Amino acid sequence: MSRKRERVMIIHDILKAIEEKKGSARPTHILYKSNLSSQMLKEYLGDLIDKKFIEITKDKKNNKFYTMTDRGYKYLQDFHIIKNFMESYDLTE
Amino acid sequence: MSPSWFFGFDVILEVMFAVICLIVALFSFKIYKDTKFRSLKFFGFSFLLISLSYMIQSIFNFLIVSEFNQDVCRIIRVHSIHNFEALGIITHMFLMTLGLSILLYTTLKDKRLRTLWLLILISFAAVFFSKNNLYMFYLISTIYLAFISWHYILNHYLTKQNKTLLVAIAFLFLLFGNFHFLISVNHELFYAIGHILELFAYLFIMLNLYLVRRR
Repeated sequence: MSRKRERVMIIHDILKAIEEKKGSARPTHILYKSNLSSQMLKEYLGDLIDKKFIEITKDKKNNKFYTMTDRGYKYLQDFHIIKNFMESYDLTE
Repeated sequence: MSPSWFFGFDVILEVMFAVICLIVALFSFKIYKDTKFRSLKFFGFSFLLISLSYMIQSIFNFLIVSEFNQDVCRIIRVHSIHNFEALGIITHMFLMTLGLSILLYTTLKDKRLRTLWLLILISFAAVFFSKNNLYMFYLISTIYLAFISWHYILNHYLTKQNKTLLVAIAFLFLLFGNFHFLISVNHELFYAIGHILELFAYLFIMLNLYLVRRR
């Protein structure tokens, strides 16, 4: 029941960082906006890919981008309901 | 255990509790489907099992006082109404114990599955190998609900939000309701009081769900 930034909030911050770049952001931008260490961010991005919230895409110059999926947008849309429910029963991870 | 004037009311209340628990379980599964947070899956299962336990309790309570009981006993080959009643109580105890064990596990924040198995096996051993199964079931449930309530009280203390307050109050009502079931073994009236307290608990849970869904 620690009061550190909860997982549900960190995921929200990462997705918000991608959303503000029109749904597709470079890893450096996400790192800057999410306020995480690069190791932690790597773990979270891996988790978000597993959850199908984001996917890796590449531009013509072969630069790596993280792009939001429909499921990621849905998470942001329902974020307050998810957060309220999980906080009510302290289900945050 | 139920006073005669309360026959029928208990069935209606148990159906209500089953429906409310089912709504919470389905809501939890819906969010789990979108987010894949592990805790939501366990939480959903716990409320689903609690819902099923109320459903079974209401069905058996209804059949016991209804005229169908002899026919049902014949169909499922149970020799007497007492055996039939015992079958209902055992199923209710099994599902509720399992549901409360999983709910307690979600509050412990322990990711090891063996902790869950330990809780389930110890509670089953205590309930089903006791000389007085029903009394031990209510005792174990009361202890589990005390721990769960304490967790939600601490959660409210740390968050200071209305929604966590509602959950803490709801579980305190469930705890006191269950305590009345514990002492209802000797006093029928407490069985009815226990149901009324549980009604308040589930109304608070529904109110919380309403606030959660409101944007």
